Amino acid sequence: MAFSQPWLLWLLPLALLPLVFQRTHSKSYSWLDMLPPDPLSDLIGLILKILAVLTLLFIVLGLGAPHTKQQEIERIGVGAQIALVLDRSASMDDAFSGSTTNAVGETKSAAAARLITQFVQSRKNDMLGMITFSNSAMYVLPLTENKEAMVAAVRATAGNALFQTNIGSGLTSGAGLFDNVPDSGSRALILLSDGAGRISAETQQKIRDWFDRMHISLYWIVLREPGGISIFDKNYAPNPDKALPPEIELFEFFKTMKTEFHAYEAEDPKSLQLAIDDINRKEKKPIKYLEKIPGKDLSSACFVLAAIIIALLLGIKYLEVKTWH
Amino acid sequence: MSIEDIKEFSYHIGWRNRGRHPGRHASTQRGMGMEFIGHTSLLNYPDPRRIDLRQTLRDPMEQVFVRLFNQKSATPVFVICDLSGSMNFGAKERKIRKAADIAESVARSATRNADPFGFVGFDDVVREDWISTASFKSHRAIELAERLKEYHPEPVSGAGIGDVWRYLPRERSLVFMISDFHMPLTQLEGALSNLTRHHIVPVVLWDADEYTNLPENGITSVTDPESGAKRTLFLRKNYRNKIIESFEARRKAIYKIFMEFDMPPFYVEGDFDADMLTEYFHQFVAA
Repeated sequence: MAFSQPWLLWLLPLALLPLVFQRTHSKSYSWLDMLPPDPLSDLIGLILKILAVLTLLFIVLGLGAPHTKQQEIERIGVGAQIALVLDRSASMDDAFSGSTTNAVGETKSAAAARLITQFVQSRKNDMLGMITFSNSAMYVLPLTENKEAMVAAVRATAGNALFQTNIGSGLTSGAGLFDNVPDSGSRALILLSDGAGRISAETQQKIRDWFDRMHISLYWIVLREPGGISIFDKNYAPNPDKALPPEIELFEFFKTMKTEFHAYEAEDPKSLQLAIDDINRKEKKPIKYLEKIPGKDLSSACFVLAAIIIALLLGIKYLEVKTWH
Repeated sequence: MSIEDIKEFSYHIGWRNRGRHPGRHASTQRGMGMEFIGHTSLLNYPDPRRIDLRQTLRDPMEQVFVRLFNQKSATPVFVICDLSGSMNFGAKERKIRKAADIAESVARSATRNADPFGFVGFDDVVREDWISTASFKSHRAIELAERLKEYHPEPVSGAGIGDVWRYLPRERSLVFMISDFHMPLTQLEGALSNLTRHHIVPVVLWDADEYTNLPENGITSVTDPESGAKRTLFLRKNYRNKIIESFEARRKAIYKIFMEFDMPPFYVEGDFDADMLTEYFHQFVAA
């Protein structure tokens, strides 16, 4: 039991007002000693006082907005703690076939949103969190069991975006979601991006350390445009004069991570679906998780009680003598 | 209310007063009355107008006799009126208003009988501002009674009744004591025992709304006008009967006390009827 507005409880002494102030419409009688004692009348008088006190008491309590504390119940289920790190760079709004021609088809972000929504809804006991990033990370949703919030967050990723891809920031923020959350035994970070960006050596080290410390496995889904460089291309010969393309460099970096790492390439919604299905399969381990049961709001119950008592008092008022004096 | 509208009643007293002032009541005062009481010698009572020739001639000692008569004298009439909080009660007419009506009637009747009239009001103490000293001219007392009709008693008790006797003359007087007598019996007894010198007519003002005219059913809250205490009442047939019983018991109790002092009470419930007071004197006071 707790109060959202405990300071209002200072008004509680007001509930004693009916005891201090007498009824103003009391009738004058010549001599009360002439009225023989009547226990029933005294009882009714006492009950009326108590009802009046209770009315004020419940109103003040209701104003204080009482609620029960949220409860946490430990449950065991199949699932994982998954952080979704979504690319919100402008290129995600292109169709899979690329932006050069008059592209027809679902945009990458829409496909991603649709498939992730499906993914989210297919998972039972996951804790999901979400970060989007373009030129910097945007904190969208902490790790939560609330599916509705997650679906809403995925839907909210639609919108205008910037042209940069700051993967490093996205990954560190994504890892940050796991901070201060009890480890359920299965933690994964799904990075969904098209193309890649470069990460400074310092950030690389930070990412590697964090992922290792928090036991986060990494799934990277690259949305590749047809004709783009494939990270799985065995025949790719790097141009010794130029720096490695960012995708390859990032892939090489991810491979050096101490934790588990899987990479997928998706060229169309279908292959994206396959990649997500694969992750779905892999991240199914028994986990312990805490289910939060929200506290119940008791203020309306207080008001209802007060209303009932007021109705009762009104009923008694109706019984009151009007014809005398 | 003009003076002519005030209803009078006739009263008499069953005892002889000693007032010097001529009036209408039997007296022990020698004077120009009609009541023959005996003879004495002219030397003792040198009033040659009253020489009784027949008695003088019959006396072998040849003394001169005069006849003695008692005059009729005026008797002071007083109203002592309760001004305590409970006198504010009354549905149609407040008791204090009714008391003022009765006081006016007494004042008017006293003037008609050539008796001086005085008024003493008391609540917690005897109220010096509600005193009108005995006077053969009743106008001042009637004016005071008119003011009394609009007076709203303060929330105090009627304990001053115990001191009223200090404000009455030593001479035996006819005293109308107007009150609802809603006071502890011991207090009433103590007050009456100091007033035995006088001829007291207790006028008991009760209101039917106090007990018989209570509402049938319902809940109400009542306040005591003197102590300010409050009580909630749940009126129902059973309880109403109990209240009526309580009042009947009270009526018996105060009747008993008054009769111990030989002061039969005169009850006024509802309107005051002056003729009933005339009837009272015929019934209880020997002529």
